[in-house]
Amino acid sequence: MAADLPAEFDVVILGTGLPESIVAAACSRIGQRVLHLDSRNYYGGNWASFTFSGLQSWIDEYKQREATTDEPVTNKEQILENEGIIPLNQRDRTIRNIETFSFSKSEDSNIVEEIGALSIKPELLNTNPTDGDQPLQESPAPEQPELQEPQSESVEHQETTSESDQIPGANIAPNSEGGSTTDAEPNAAKVCQTESRKSITYSDIVREGRRFNIDLVSKFLYSRGLLIDLLIKSNVSRYTEFKNVTRILTYHNGRIEQVPCSRADVFSSKQLSMIEKRTLMKFLTFCADYEQHPEEYQDYKDSAFLDFLQSKRLTPSLQHFVLCSIAMVSKNTNTVDGLKATQHFLRCLGRYGNTPFLFHMYGLGEIPQCFCRMSAVFGGIYCLHHSLQCLVIDEDSKQCKAVIDSSGKRISCNYVLVEDSYLSEVTCAQVQYRQISRAILITDCSVLKSESDQEISVLTVPSEDGRQNAVYMTELCSSTNTCMKNTYLVHLSCPSVKATAREDLEPVIQKLFTLDADGGE
Amino acid sequence: MSMEDYDFLFKIVLIGNAGVGKTCLVRRFTQGLFPPGQGATIGVDFMIKTVEIKGEKIKLQIWDTAGQERFRSITQSYYRSANALILTYDITCEESFRCLPEWLREIEQYANNEVITVLVGNKIDLAERREVSQQRAEEFAGSQNMYYLETSAKESDNVEKLFLDLACRLISEARQNALVNNVDSSLPGEGKSISYLNCCNFN
Repeated sequence: MAADLPAEFDVVILGTGLPESIVAAACSRIGQRVLHLDSRNYYGGNWASFTFSGLQSWIDEYKQREATTDEPVTNKEQILENEGIIPLNQRDRTIRNIETFSFSKSEDSNIVEEIGALSIKPELLNTNPTDGDQPLQESPAPEQPELQEPQSESVEHQETTSESDQIPGANIAPNSEGGSTTDAEPNAAKVCQTESRKSITYSDIVREGRRFNIDLVSKFLYSRGLLIDLLIKSNVSRYTEFKNVTRILTYHNGRIEQVPCSRADVFSSKQLSMIEKRTLMKFLTFCADYEQHPEEYQDYKDSAFLDFLQSKRLTPSLQHFVLCSIAMVSKNTNTVDGLKATQHFLRCLGRYGNTPFLFHMYGLGEIPQCFCRMSAVFGGIYCLHHSLQCLVIDEDSKQCKAVIDSSGKRISCNYVLVEDSYLSEVTCAQVQYRQISRAILITDCSVLKSESDQEISVLTVPSEDGRQNAVYMTELCSSTNTCMKNTYLVHLSCPSVKATAREDLEPVIQKLFTLDADGGE
Repeated sequence: MSMEDYDFLFKIVLIGNAGVGKTCLVRRFTQGLFPPGQGATIGVDFMIKTVEIKGEKIKLQIWDTAGQERFRSITQSYYRSANALILTYDITCEESFRCLPEWLREIEQYANNEVITVLVGNKIDLAERREVSQQRAEEFAGSQNMYYLETSAKESDNVEKLFLDLACRLISEARQNALVNNVDSSLPGEGKSISYLNCCNFN
């Protein structure tokens, strides 16, 4: 197949994640001849989104890769005398320790076996935590995904919770199947499947599996963020469809509450007193153009944003709303950064709807593909399931002048861009990596019920002592085309602190999905 | 241009092996051209043609693969929100016919459930080199619940008919959906295009 690939390009790009795809589109757009490859047979690399069965295959593939040894194959015949090579990984080592769980008992024994096949065994991936070489400048809070976020581990929780007539709490009692996880390495990622005894069953999920678009990396976008600007400027937006996040939630005093953030929200809020409403409106109005009133925060420039909020006489609830859900910063963030974040939030508010965030229909995994389409439209050549063995370096100039593809063919090029998961540990020895714990759940009721069952919610759960980073959760409804009807797709993430993702996220999951019983009413 | 200069807008997507004449079909229909020996088209994302059927203006947005089919690397997002798919093969090329089940799998996986699929056997002007009989293709199309049509982009045979028939079917489908008015199911195009909203929001 690759035999008819041309032997010369201007730019060769390996990996179809978001950063690579944006570069591919940009290069094609200015007339460069681009070859864009991915070793996988799907787009997006670790930015991909999968159907239910697709996710299972992905997990299986990881297991398989784990079993195979990574022998660098290099076709030496293709290398000239004054050339060196940089061998590339043939498998991705960025995601570690995928675990799968099953949380409920099933009535349908046939189906149980099918789940068991996937979920009894925790999938353990002893892959290296290498991914994302750029240290992140920004908070792990919902960000424009053009910042390459090292996705070193991914936790996948999938569970459906019983909707039944009981209290709308999720039934997350780990059963023996899923519980027995052995973490040989830190950072476990888990896939939990829970069947509910009523309404949605596991077989429903399997049957409707293609209704799911489960992102490995879930993010939402600031409506005035750089990525949105780029999508519009580049015309890539014509391939995209977004929905506005409909609710911003927060976890406060043991319950889930909706955060009033727009003017209308504040006025109609039932949880705020009249005085709080006035204080909050006044404060938000100030934040919208805080630079105009330096006198207001001059004295707090070097202190924490929280101190500043206190000085403005915001009540503890208001402080919590502003800090955790509007600015989305930590307690230690300084005043100016907090003000900036609040201002950005306010500026994004109302551009497309009542919250500042957008979510991509069919999942984030579509966005890299849209940039790839743009590149293809301008002549970029696409070849999935095709990788590179090595880069060929000219010894004199120390520049990469060619690559050897997985079929052993030499392709000359001026520039090469390689997603860092393809680079060996030796090559990336100097790079600092950051790890993220992730969990994905499939539930059948919302963490906070409302009149509509089609809410797209963002929830911040601050750590209990306020020192660690908060856990961010998104809950997607079926109209985002990421999950089947009557289910919700829940993503949780936080920077990894503890040894495993499970340890990082399980407490929050238990909290949310049991406390939900109270919060639901 | 106002948003209301048409009654219906449909997205039609072409798929099929490289070299079966997808781009030629589109250009024949939208521009009345048959560019011989045409290479890969650069910079053309989709073509638009507005047709009038029974007094109603139907805007057809016709998308081509941008060459990504060459190495079987079409993006899933290409299929999203398509109202109709034109699955094309070359009647003089057995291989392009044999690949159809593979394409159907992709459709099954990524396209909307309600999508209308038409099977098109192109290049009937080269009848003397035919490798796939009409009967075989008809049977295959029937078994897969697809409409079938043979065309020649070169001679302009059946090209107009292909798109106009499709437009008619799309209209009646859209009417039915409007009647059923299935609130729960999210239909393609329900999400918002940011650029459209953008221009509306700027003062």
